[in-house]
Amino acid sequence: MELATNFIPLSALDVTYLLVVGFIGGLVSGFIGSGGAFVLTPAMMSMGVPGIIAVASNMCHKFPKALVGAIKRAKYGQVDVKLGIVVGVSAEAGVLYGAHIQQMIHQSFGDAGSNLYVSLAFVVVLGIIGSYVLWDAMKMRHATDDEAEKVSRIARWVQSIHIPGTMVYFKSLNARVSVLFTIPLGFATGMLAATVAVGGFIGVPAMHYILGAPALMASASELVVAFVMGVGGTMKYAWSGLVDIRLAMIILAGSLFGIQLGAIGTTYVKPHMIKMVMGVIMVLVLFSRAIAIPVYLSELDLIDKLAPHLPGALLNISFVVLIAALASGAAIVFAALWRGISTSRHEAALAVTPATMFAPDVVAMPTSPQLSPLGRFERFLLATDGSEYSAGAVRESLRMASKCGARIRAISVVAGGDVELHAMGEQLITKELNTARAHLDEVQQQASAAGVACESEATQSSQVYQEIVSQAERMQADLIVMGRRGRHGLARLMVGPSTVRVIGHAHCNVLVVPRAAKLVGRHFIVASDGSRFGDAAATTAARLAKLCHTPITVVSVIRPEHSEERKREAHTIVGRIVYFLKQEGVVVEGIVPHGRPDEVIVQTANAKNSDLIILGSHGRTGLERVLLGGTSERVIDAARCAVLVVKSA
Amino acid sequence: MTDSYAHSAGKMMTRAALYGLVSLALYFLLYFFEDTILEFTSRGGWYFIAPVVIAFVFSFFHGAFTSHFWDTLGIKAKK
Repeated sequence: MELATNFIPLSALDVTYLLVVGFIGGLVSGFIGSGGAFVLTPAMMSMGVPGIIAVASNMCHKFPKALVGAIKRAKYGQVDVKLGIVVGVSAEAGVLYGAHIQQMIHQSFGDAGSNLYVSLAFVVVLGIIGSYVLWDAMKMRHATDDEAEKVSRIARWVQSIHIPGTMVYFKSLNARVSVLFTIPLGFATGMLAATVAVGGFIGVPAMHYILGAPALMASASELVVAFVMGVGGTMKYAWSGLVDIRLAMIILAGSLFGIQLGAIGTTYVKPHMIKMVMGVIMVLVLFSRAIAIPVYLSELDLIDKLAPHLPGALLNISFVVLIAALASGAAIVFAALWRGISTSRHEAALAVTPATMFAPDVVAMPTSPQLSPLGRFERFLLATDGSEYSAGAVRESLRMASKCGARIRAISVVAGGDVELHAMGEQLITKELNTARAHLDEVQQQASAAGVACESEATQSSQVYQEIVSQAERMQADLIVMGRRGRHGLARLMVGPSTVRVIGHAHCNVLVVPRAAKLVGRHFIVASDGSRFGDAAATTAARLAKLCHTPITVVSVIRPEHSEERKREAHTIVGRIVYFLKQEGVVVEGIVPHGRPDEVIVQTANAKNSDLIILGSHGRTGLERVLLGGTSERVIDAARCAVLVVKSA
Repeated sequence: MTDSYAHSAGKMMTRAALYGLVSLALYFLLYFFEDTILEFTSRGGWYFIAPVVIAFVFSFFHGAFTSHFWDTLGIKAKK
C-alpha cells in the first residue's frame, strides 16, 4: 500500500531527531506545564512535513504527554484538576476563535501576512509576559527560604470579587473565584495556543498572577489544560485525516521520558525556578520571532526588499534561536534537578551516617577541659523595626525570656538624626517614631500577657546599629535579639544591614530569628572550629539545653583540603565539647562532616530539624570581614532556624 | 530491612521490564504495520477515534515504563 501523499517517509536520522527534540520538549513541559510545541512543529516542517500535518501530529502527541505529566504531578499534590478543566474548556473556544482569525488573515494577506501576525503576537505577548515572569523570577531569587510565595495584588482583588451564581471553589487558590474571570483567561490561553502553539505562555502566568495559584500548581494544572485542548484539537484534525500517527508516537516516545524527569524536577526546586525557566524560554522565543519579522514585512512590501540571501539566513537564525530557547530551558531544568538531587542525597546521608559519629568515651581528653564561663540570660535587648521581618524576633524573645526569667528592653530605632534627613522632613521622622511607639506598646502588651518584665523606647539615630550596640552596653545586656532581612550575596554586603553590623560590634551574644522560625527546644546545633569562640558557644549551649531539656549535635566541619592533623584535631575538638556537655547532663552527639562549613552547618540543622544553631563569633568587622568572609553570617543568611552568635569578650 | 528493600527494588525492575517490553512491542507493531496503520488513521470522519485510541494506549504503557525507568535509576521525587 502506498503512503498517503501528505505523509513523508521517515529515515533513522529523522526518528532520532524527533526522539531527541521530543525528549527535550517533554522535559520542559513536565517542568513548566507547557513548551516544546513551538519547536516541534517547525522541527517537523524542517524535515519536509507539511505545516498542517505537523500541527496535527504535534497536537496528537501533546494530549497523551500532558495526561502522563498531569498524573505524575497529581501524585505530588500539585494539580488542581477543576481549575485545569474549567480553563481548558474555555480554552477550546479560544482555539476555535483564534483559528478563525488566522484563517481570515491568511485569506486577506496570504502566507506572509499570516506569518507576520504570528510573529507580532509572539513579540507583543512574550515581550510583556515573558519579561515580567523573568523579572519576577529574579526578584524571587533573593527572597529568603522561609518566605512563602506571595499572592499578587490583582489576584487578591479577583478573589475578593463575589458575583452570585458564578463562584467556584478552587483548591489551588484556596478561595472561591467567579468563572467570569476564569473563562476569559481560558479563552485567551486558547487563542494564543491557536496562534503561537503554546497556550501555557499565557495560561500559567494567568493562573499564577491573576487567579493567585502558586507557581508550581499553576504549571501542573496547565498540563490538564493542555490535555483538554490537545484532545479537542486532535479530534478536529483527525476528523480531516491529517494526523501522522507515526510522527506523533515517535515524539511521544521521547517526550514521555522527558516529562517524567521534568515532573520529578519540580519536587526539588523553589517556585522561582519554574518562572525562571519559563521567562528565559519566552524571552528567547521572542528574539527568535523578532529576527524573522523583517522577512515578512519585506514580503508584504511594507519595507524595502531584502537582499536575496538575507531572508533565508534570517529564517535559519530564527530557527536556531528557537532551538536554543528550548535547549536553555532544558539545561536550567537539568541543572536544578542535578543540584536538588545532590543536596537531597547529601542531607539524607548526613542524617543517617553513623560513620562520622563517635562516642565521646573513646576520645582522649586534653589536660585542661576548662571552657569559657559564659551563658547568662537575664537581660535581653530586643531590637525591632515593627516590620514582618522582626515578628519572629519579638515572638521568640518573649518565649525565651519567659523560660529564662529574663527581663526585656524593647527598642525601635528610626533611621534619622542626619542633618539632611531633618531637612527632608521632621514630620516624616515624627510619624515614624509614633508608628514605632505604637508597635512597642503592642510588644509590651504581649510581654505582660506572657508574664515578662518589659520596658520599651522608640529612638532615632543616624546609625541604627550603633544605637542598638550602645543601648546593649548601657543596660549590660546578655543578649540582643533581632530579625533578619531577606538579602543575600552582594546586595547584603553592600547594604550592610543592621543585623550584620550589630553582630560585628556587640560585646554580648546576638540571637537572629527569621520571621517563621520557632525556638521551642527541639534540637540544637553547636558549631565549633576549635577556637575559644567555639568553646564559648558550647558553654552557652549547655546552659540553654539544660533549661529546655534539648538534645545537641556538636559539629566541627573539615574541608577536603585540610591536613590529616587538622582532621584529627577536629575529632578531638568535638570529643572535648561532647565530653563537657555530657558532664553537664545534656544529651549530645558529635559529628565531623566534610564540606564548606556554612553549608554543612545549615544542612545538618535542616536534617536534624533543629530550631537553633549556636556559633562562636570571631567578631570581625569592616574590611577584614569582607575579605575573610564570615561563616556565621553565611549561616545566618541561609538558615531556616534561629542562630545564636556567641561572643567571647 | 535490606531484604524488603531488595525485594521492592526487584519488583520495580520487573515492572519496568514488563512495561518496557509491551511498549517496545507496540512500537514494533507500529513500525511493522506502518502503512496499514497510517492509512487507517488518516481516513478521516469517524475514523478520528483511531489515532486518539492509539495515543491513549501508547501513553498508558510507555508512560508507565518511563516512570519505572527513572525510578529504577534512582531518580525519584523528593519526599
